[in-house]
Amino acid sequence: MKQPQHIIQFLLNDNLIEIDFSKSVEYKPTTTVLNYLRSLPGHKGVKEGCAEGDCGACTVVLAEYNQNGSFTYKAVTSCLLFLPMIHGKQLITVEGLAEKNGDQWELHPVQKEIIQSFGSQCGYCTPGIVMSLFALYKNHDNPSKTIINDALTGNLCRCTGYRPIIEAAEKACANIKSHQLTVKEKKAENIFKALGSLEKSIAIESQGQKYFRPATLHNALSLIKQYPKAHIVTGGSDIAIKQTKKQEFLEEIIDISGLRELKGHSEDQANIYLGAGLSMEEVKTIVDNKIPELHHILSYFGSLQIRNIATIGGNLGTASPISDTLPVLIARKAKVILKSGDKERTQSIDSFIKGYRKTNINPDELIYRIVIPKTMKGVIFKSYKLSKRKELDISSVSGAFRLQLDNEKKITDIALVFGGMAEMPKKAVQTEMFLMKKKFERETIETAMKILYDEFMPITDARASDVGRRLMARNLLMKFYNDV
Amino acid sequence: MNKQQLHDSALQHVTGEAVYVNDIDSHARLLTGHVVFSPFAHANIISYDLGRAKKTKGVHAILCYHDIPGENQVGAVVKDEVCLAEKEVTFIGQALFLIAAESKEIALKAEQLIEVDYEPLEAVLNIEDAMEKNQLLATPRIMECGDFQKAFNDSAFHLEGELKTGAQEHWYLETQSCLSIPGEGNEMVIYSSTQHPSEVQSIVSGVLGRKKNEIEVVVKRIGGAFGGKESQPNQVAAWTALLASATGLPVKISLLRDEDQIITGKRHPFLSFYKVGFNQAGMINALKVELNGDAGSSTDLSNAILERSMFHIDNAYFIPNLHLTGKMWKTNHPSNTAFRGFGAPQAMAVIEAIIDRISRKLSIDPAEIRRRNFYGMDDRNITYYGEKIENNRLFSIFEKLITTSGYYNKREEINKFNTNHEFFKKGMALTPVKFGISFTTSFLNQAGALVNIYKDGSVLITHGGVEMGQGLHTKIVTIAASELGIDMDKIRVAATSTSKVPNTSATAASSGSDLNGMAVKNAVDKLKSRLTEIFLQEINKNHPQKPSFEGSVLFQDNYVVDQMHRERKKSFKELISLAYLNQISLSATGFYKTPGIFFDKQKGKGKPFFYYAYGMAVSEVLLDVLTGHHQVLRTDILHDVGNSLHKSIDIGQIEGGFIQGVGWCTIEEIKYDRNGKMLTHSPDTYKIPTINDLPLDFRVNLLKDAPNPNNIKKSKAVGEPPFMLSFSVWLAIKDAISAIADHTTEPEFSLPATQEVILRSIEKLKEQI
Ligand SMILES: Cc1cc2nc3c(=O)[nH]c(=O)nc-3n(C[C@H](O)[C@H](O)[C@H](O)COP(=O)(O)OP(=O)(O)OC[C@H]3O[C@@H](n4cnc5c(N)ncnc54)[C@H](O)[C@@H]3O)c2cc1C
Ligand code: FES
Ligand code: FES
Repeated sequence: MKQPQHIIQFLLNDNLIEIDFSKSVEYKPTTTVLNYLRSLPGHKGVKEGCAEGDCGACTVVLAEYNQNGSFTYKAVTSCLLFLPMIHGKQLITVEGLAEKNGDQWELHPVQKEIIQSFGSQCGYCTPGIVMSLFALYKNHDNPSKTIINDALTGNLCRCTGYRPIIEAAEKACANIKSHQLTVKEKKAENIFKALGSLEKSIAIESQGQKYFRPATLHNALSLIKQYPKAHIVTGGSDIAIKQTKKQEFLEEIIDISGLRELKGHSEDQANIYLGAGLSMEEVKTIVDNKIPELHHILSYFGSLQIRNIATIGGNLGTASPISDTLPVLIARKAKVILKSGDKERTQSIDSFIKGYRKTNINPDELIYRIVIPKTMKGVIFKSYKLSKRKELDISSVSGAFRLQLDNEKKITDIALVFGGMAEMPKKAVQTEMFLMKKKFERETIETAMKILYDEFMPITDARASDVGRRLMARNLLMKFYNDV
Repeated sequence: MNKQQLHDSALQHVTGEAVYVNDIDSHARLLTGHVVFSPFAHANIISYDLGRAKKTKGVHAILCYHDIPGENQVGAVVKDEVCLAEKEVTFIGQALFLIAAESKEIALKAEQLIEVDYEPLEAVLNIEDAMEKNQLLATPRIMECGDFQKAFNDSAFHLEGELKTGAQEHWYLETQSCLSIPGEGNEMVIYSSTQHPSEVQSIVSGVLGRKKNEIEVVVKRIGGAFGGKESQPNQVAAWTALLASATGLPVKISLLRDEDQIITGKRHPFLSFYKVGFNQAGMINALKVELNGDAGSSTDLSNAILERSMFHIDNAYFIPNLHLTGKMWKTNHPSNTAFRGFGAPQAMAVIEAIIDRISRKLSIDPAEIRRRNFYGMDDRNITYYGEKIENNRLFSIFEKLITTSGYYNKREEINKFNTNHEFFKKGMALTPVKFGISFTTSFLNQAGALVNIYKDGSVLITHGGVEMGQGLHTKIVTIAASELGIDMDKIRVAATSTSKVPNTSATAASSGSDLNGMAVKNAVDKLKSRLTEIFLQEINKNHPQKPSFEGSVLFQDNYVVDQMHRERKKSFKELISLAYLNQISLSATGFYKTPGIFFDKQKGKGKPFFYYAYGMAVSEVLLDVLTGHHQVLRTDILHDVGNSLHKSIDIGQIEGGFIQGVGWCTIEEIKYDRNGKMLTHSPDTYKIPTINDLPLDFRVNLLKDAPNPNNIKKSKAVGEPPFMLSFSVWLAIKDAISAIADHTTEPEFSLPATQEVILRSIEKLKEQI
């Protein structure tokens, strides 16, 4: 039986939960999963450390039950998730890993190893770390150091210095695990099977908020037309901050994270097509060595928890001057496909971005797909991200470069696209012009660096100074030269 | 000692069961406290109106300074810090009004309705401006020995310079939190996330105008502190207590991260000037340093912090002629406060920078210059403040570490690498730490404990120290178990409470286990002597001819036994029942004060430290010359903890302290705008180390066979000293930069050496060559 649209259903560990927003006074549709959990008795394990996705103390795992009878596990930051986003999923928290029989605990291997390795000191980061490790445990047998670090980049710990946590990860995940469902998974499977399909549109009007989570693209497009001022949300990693940090009241929300139509991807001879709703982590896996410079920049994008929720469509949608994918996509001559109720149009990303956090999307349109041309023979692409902290930081400057040389090493095509240097990602047009048709050699590059140094007038802010940014941009040209 | 005890809260940590202040629910009518703070660094308050805000539905109280029943003071040492601003605000983040509401949202709504009329005044936002305006916090301090001027004139070589070191945000994962629950009459129970329950008790009793015996402060555990919860929780506790008292309901404040970062004090930024004279061999003859700290808007712990800075300008080095001035300056920032190292890192950075420069000037390896300047074993071993360096571990650590790290081979490899690479450079540095253990305010070196034994033989300990992750309770259990000769699972440490152990000092200055461990031992000794008496009474009934003696009674393996006659024994549990039936008290208090330490502030001489802790680190970094990014390739640490009370916990402190220091030295940077508004008030812009900032190869070892006489179980304190091992990374980066000019030119350098600082330094250096 289909539930009414103002009710969401999900599993909290082993228990089926229903929240009826038409009745609830405690929860509004944009209540975050973190605040929801902390309002429950017996669920205080999850902690708030920042409410902006940067510390990982609130990490939980979302499990999805797949058609083929398996589960997919993703660590996410619960401080940035609105409750309706977990509809149909299993929310696993630190309280759900161990069993307590009387006074005896039966711990999960990741919990055991954290204890044995002295991986907790004050313990405040520990529940989040345990959950990141749990997802790692589920997704990897005997993971490499790189994978372990990547799984834990989003979990700050101020006490331990991390070494014992790495040790715990290595020990807990060392063995090859069986692919059979565990007892807990069987339990969850039974509940999901009994419930049948949970795919449905959600529409909630409560406490002055309207929250829609359409199940089909068609439905989404008509809602957008109907509510032109509504915030469109996919991952929410940008929008949720407005509420959690800036205390903005989000009146109308159209949450498109449930749209299958935005999650597909395909490729042909010339292009890779990415659905706008693909998460950054999914994009990273899909493009892998096909678009290596995109893969590279995504390795330095947020943390795994953030990449699991943030989408590529959302990254374009922000049109932020420090969006990490934009320079790459511009250098690639990628395109975006916009869709409204009755038509589709294709735009180059370059022309799609209009100004500071401004795109030329129409109010009735959605970002539908991103089209990325594959690498052609002889064309070189590179990307760079410079930030105060190498991982989990916003770029001070990023650069994405495209280059083609003829037989005499003369430059026949070049694009130097920078993030962080202006109000939006921008090409260094003068430097490009100077370099065109010149020989790609050190002397030329050194002259070009001088031009580049004066080409932008970046701002000074918390991340870097104007002079610092100009130095960084300039040096990236030499870096590129050395790397080619 | 038998097997290693696991961290006493680890099970609760990993299962999410561990309760922190913000996790205590169960109070149906709990209100949320909210503080309205100043948006101006300096301004007069012309007028304000709370009327409309008070009418907001769900608001139970809005308080201003008029509503404080006791004194309007939260100053930790000097009474110069108001709880709520009266006529003037002196920093952004200063509390003006307090709101108790049914939720944070309601409180924020009410805040919008408060109208305040300010008259902005000129603000002093850095040390340079404070100097220009002569805004000294207190009379400058001076310490000296020998004759600086003469020795300086006589020296063959001279250097002069200045060093800036930055502020640091504690970034404990648990923000400042407090829950105050009013009881009957004047009673109030305070659950505070504090390192210093007794001071919270004192401040709360002050603002409420109540007696201390009416205020109980309880601390189960805190989610990290690092000095940031030594005095900063005072105000948060005062706020919740005032609101709880005004409403008659429990009130909790758990600061949002941004609030915490804006309101609370940081590590003091320092600006230091120095002059040094040295000889051909790099031996320092004469040193003159002026240390200038940014105290912020009030005194807080700044005077003690300055004092500890001044005690550490020498780090590990003998300085025969020294003139040292210390000044704290008043600025319009939140009052800066304790942070791991308590001023010592700021001073030690200066001497380490100086040594680094000497080495470049003389083209002698910096590690060698360091060795030459170390305090001597038999001579050159009196500090400028008169304390003799005993049990000097510097040479033994140095020699071992030079070998195990392969220092000189690596130096050659690095030189080769640098010759062959233009855009990547490697650098390496060895830096030592000598850190004085004891509160430099001597009377603070005291601690108390309460040990109860119950009829079933289980033991409950309460002591004055707070568990903040450092493993204090675990160490205490280990100590008590070995003293009582019983299994560790029979012993539990209870929440710290001012009702159980009164008048305690802060859990700070790395002294938690030294002082409280000794106090617990003192209580256990009392109990043991009572138990021994009853044991002898009982045993000797059967052996009137050949009685057992007190001296041969052992507490071992859950038994009390006569070691001369092993068959004469009683299980611990049995003996406890016997004692109970014989009406013997099974509860004892313990007390300890550190013997023999004193310091004459006027003369600047004395023996302020019970002992010193030593350590050394060698770090090697790879620097990307074009991007300014670096990677620590390897760090070798050898650290002295005496006989370790607990190896894993000690290593955890060393690793954690080191990485926190690396953060301060490289990526943690606090920036303000022109009006003193903090730009880096959340982890979005304030960056602490992540898991990727570990050295790729990280080797931490404890110095073997180096017992520390006199201290508990011959151990040494470990909390703060490892922080400063991070200078090895800081100076390795500088070494890599310096390689660009073949070590012939002094690079510009400061702390933190952020990616941008590094890039600019490289740029400048390239312009010079
Ligand atoms: C801790 C943290 C770290 C981060 N690190 C990085 C980083 O390293 N690099 C970086 O570039 N960014 C980073 N971000 C920013 C953010 O995560 C990204 O911009 C992300 O890609 C946004 O995607 P989302 O799906 O979460 O966006 P949302 O918040 O859902 O939406 C963002 C914007 O795009 C619009 N939008 C979303 N989807 C569509 C669509 N299909 N059609 C039309 N409009 C749409 C929304 O209306 C909104 O304006 C970080 C954020 C956090 C919190
Ligand atoms: S609370 Fe810090 S990431 Fe969510
Ligand atoms: S153990 Fe304290 S923050 Fe990780």
